Amino acid sequence: MRGRELLKWVGVGVGLLIVAVVIGLSVMAGGLGGAYGMVRYALPHMHRGTLRVGDVAPDASLLALDGSSRFHIRERTGARPLVIVFGSYT
Amino acid sequence: MVKIYEDYKDHADFLTVYVREAHPTDEWQMKSNVKEDVCYAQPKTLEQRIAIANDFVKRFKYPTQFGIDDMSNAANDAYAAWPERVYIIEQGRIAYRGGMGPFNYHPEEARAWLAAHYGEVKHEAPASAPDKSGAGTKSN
Repeated sequence: MRGRELLKWVGVGVGLLIVAVVIGLSVMAGGLGGAYGMVRYALPHMHRGTLRVGDVAPDASLLALDGSSRFHIRERTGARPLVIVFGSYT
Repeated sequence: MVKIYEDYKDHADFLTVYVREAHPTDEWQMKSNVKEDVCYAQPKTLEQRIAIANDFVKRFKYPTQFGIDDMSNAANDAYAAWPERVYIIEQGRIAYRGGMGPFNYHPEEARAWLAAHYGEVKHEAPASAPDKSGAGTKSN
C-alpha cells in the first residue's frame, strides 16, 4: 500500500512539474504554440558553447554580401579589437 | 548595435555574421515578425540566405562589415552563436564573450568593454520637445 501511495504522489508531482514547465514555456514564448515552437525548433540549436575569455578565437569562412567573394574571420582581426555580432533578420 | 558601431568605429572593427534564421515562417515564427513584415522561411540554400541577408542590410542600411555563414553553420557552431550573440576578439583571442540570446544578449556589455578601453561616449539629450515615436529598429 505504501508503495502504491508513494507512486501515486510521485505521479502527481511529475504531472504538476510538467504542467509548470508548459506554463512557464508558454509565458516565455507567448502561448502554447510558441512553447511548442521553442521546444521543437529553438532548444535543439541553443548551446552555451565552450569558448571562454582568453581562448583562441575560432576561425571560419564567411561569404560576402555579393554572394561570390569569401573571407575568413581571422582576416578581419588585426591590431584593433574586432566586435563580432551574430544574428539574423527574423 | 548600430549606435555602438557609430560610437566606436574609430577604435574597433565590427563584423556582423549572418547565421540561420531565428524565427522563420516554417519554424517558430513570432507575432512580432508578422507585424514588422519580416517573414522568411528558413533558407535551404546559401543563395536564399544571401538574399535575406541583403534584404536586411538594405532595409536598415546596416553599416558594419558583413559575412554570411555557410549552410554548414560552421561559424555559428564554432561560436555557439544562435540566435544572437556578441564577442570581442583582441589579438586573436576572446576578450569578451556575450551571453546567449535572446535573454542573455546584452550589447551594452560590449559597449562597456569598449568604454573601459577607449572611454565612454556620451550623447547629449536633444533640447527639443519629447520624442513621441515609440517604435525603432534594433539600434542599441
